[in-house]
Amino acid sequence: MTRPRRDPRAERASIQVAGEARPRFDRTARRTGSGRPRRDPRAERAGQRVAGESRPRYDLSQTVRFDAAVITEAQPKTAAVAPPKILVLENPAFLVAVVPDAPGGRLSSHDRQVLGAARALAGREGGVAILTLGPCEGVGPAGADRCLPLEAVEGYDPASQTARVAAALTALAARHVLFPESLDGGDLARRVAVRLGEPVFTNAEVVAANGLVRPAKGRRVEQRVAPGMLATVAPDAVAEYGGPPREARLLSVDGEAPTPSPQKNPKRIVSAARVPADPATVPLALAEFVVSAGNGLTDLDTFRQVVAALHATPGASRVLCDAGLMPRHTQVGASGTVLAATCYFALGISGAPQHLQGVAGCEHVVAVNTDLHAAMIERAGLAIVQDAQVVMPALLRLLEQEAGENA
Amino acid sequence: MKIVVLLSAGRHPVSGAPVLPRMEAQAIRIAAALGEAVGLHAGPDAEAVREALGLGLTHIEHIAVADGLDPVPALAARLAAMAPDLVLAGRRGQGGPESGIVPYALAEALDLLLIPDVVAVSGGPDTLTLDQSLGRGALRRVAVRGPVLATVHPDAAAPLAYAFGKARRGTIELVGAAAKATDVPEAVVEERPYRRRPKLVKGAPTGGSAAERLKAATGEGGSATKGRLLVEPDPEEAAREILAHLRQIGVLADASKSAK
Repeated sequence: MTRPRRDPRAERASIQVAGEARPRFDRTARRTGSGRPRRDPRAERAGQRVAGESRPRYDLSQTVRFDAAVITEAQPKTAAVAPPKILVLENPAFLVAVVPDAPGGRLSSHDRQVLGAARALAGREGGVAILTLGPCEGVGPAGADRCLPLEAVEGYDPASQTARVAAALTALAARHVLFPESLDGGDLARRVAVRLGEPVFTNAEVVAANGLVRPAKGRRVEQRVAPGMLATVAPDAVAEYGGPPREARLLSVDGEAPTPSPQKNPKRIVSAARVPADPATVPLALAEFVVSAGNGLTDLDTFRQVVAALHATPGASRVLCDAGLMPRHTQVGASGTVLAATCYFALGISGAPQHLQGVAGCEHVVAVNTDLHAAMIERAGLAIVQDAQVVMPALLRLLEQEAGENA
Repeated sequence: MKIVVLLSAGRHPVSGAPVLPRMEAQAIRIAAALGEAVGLHAGPDAEAVREALGLGLTHIEHIAVADGLDPVPALAARLAAMAPDLVLAGRRGQGGPESGIVPYALAEALDLLLIPDVVAVSGGPDTLTLDQSLGRGALRRVAVRGPVLATVHPDAAAPLAYAFGKARRGTIELVGAAAKATDVPEAVVEERPYRRRPKLVKGAPTGGSAAERLKAATGEGGSATKGRLLVEPDPEEAAREILAHLRQIGVLADASKSAK
């Protein structure tokens, strides 16, 4: 609890009797400021005196509180949570354009970081414009003042995508253009750079109005330049935009001429098909969802069935790999593979420190173990203290039942 | 089928010793499986890429280009003369600026089709099938016609083992020197020793207190504090909870969707 700080001079000035040459102070006026009632012992004593007797008698059993007016500060009334005000930028002095990946029409966290970097470059008077290929949601809260949705390219056609983005950027006349340094974003940035004939500053780790910084020569040196036209931003280097939502006003660029086919020989890409990763064979370091077995399991056949039913990648602890029960390339941990999975499901693993190092990058952990005090139970988002040997058949039964209901 | 592998003088990321970049070694393996391949290097010294002879190439062509000059015009002129069906390059250099712009500049200069981040190549001279990495093991299988320039992703198959005898037998041929290129006015680049930046803490509240940032950094603020603990539940109950949790995270498809 904190009390308001007293200001003795102001208190003294407030009790000064006005209109006299010699300063006089009215000390009967109660001090304000501390918020606590001041005790008046004389008045309390007088209140305890038994009335009607010549000899003063005091009834000490009763305590009369001197009734003081407690000065309470007006509590700032917590307003009901109103939707935050949308910031509107009418006439930006210049524009900083962002071309996000936006897989599936939603901004990835890397895209948000690029928007945060663009906001840092734009400063107070500049505006952030986002160029999306196809519709994209949630660009205003991520920090975009303007939004320019371009027509999505059907199929895999990087050349016409580049032509479209380059034409829009030329028409927009943005001062800076930022791309994410991801597989798709980095590719598009370099294509746009050679098309526009502009240098591109790749993999910037620091983005500020006074300079961009990137590592070079195997992270031995860092290079700093003044912000140029094109740059790509490294992942997890710049913070996302954290301010109030922005307007994301729709822009239309009239200069966008539909380029029918800039290539001389049109159909150079015959076909393009997406092959999703096969969880059973994907390397453990790339896997999205890993189900892992530890020394608490004896029935590895059921474990393999569970892995197949969950469409996951199998992993194992060091003990099982040392015993030859699981192949060595499935080992998770410091001496095995360090995972980058979204979810890790540990069956019968107590969580040695070396094993937890391998799991450190996983966002979600689910653990089944008999020991309530195991480190893995502490680490897990959903921890179940139960024998994994009995949970596995229950899982299989439930999955089978669900498949039967929907068949 | 004529294949050219672009080679660069790399530096080891840890020791700084001159090595062939790993992605170019992987490119040599991809090329060796398809047919006879020729290495092409533009730089002041061909000794930097001699290692490639032990990794699967038999012949390297070297264009003498002074240090600090742009190698793209010299490479483009030589590639136009060779007219290969497939050109392979690493996706980034190693030990230099590491911007990865050279393959794009070459593709623009030669009007080649560029397919980035390739992990495998198969097919013949007229139609090639390239597997492009989309991250996390997912691929895009692209069938292309005509000459193509592909950059290799680190997820491609590991390079072949170094063979000393092959490295002795391989040849390096000087095929020309770049004309004295006009000095391109370069952007002013200020170089300093690298300084590691503080890691961005995911999930930390903006403007939060130091204690909140520490919690976010150590993972106590994340799923661990919100974690649920079920002690000795019925196995069926535990299974239901696990499946519901996995579906909420999004790693497991909904039962109704997976059946369709």
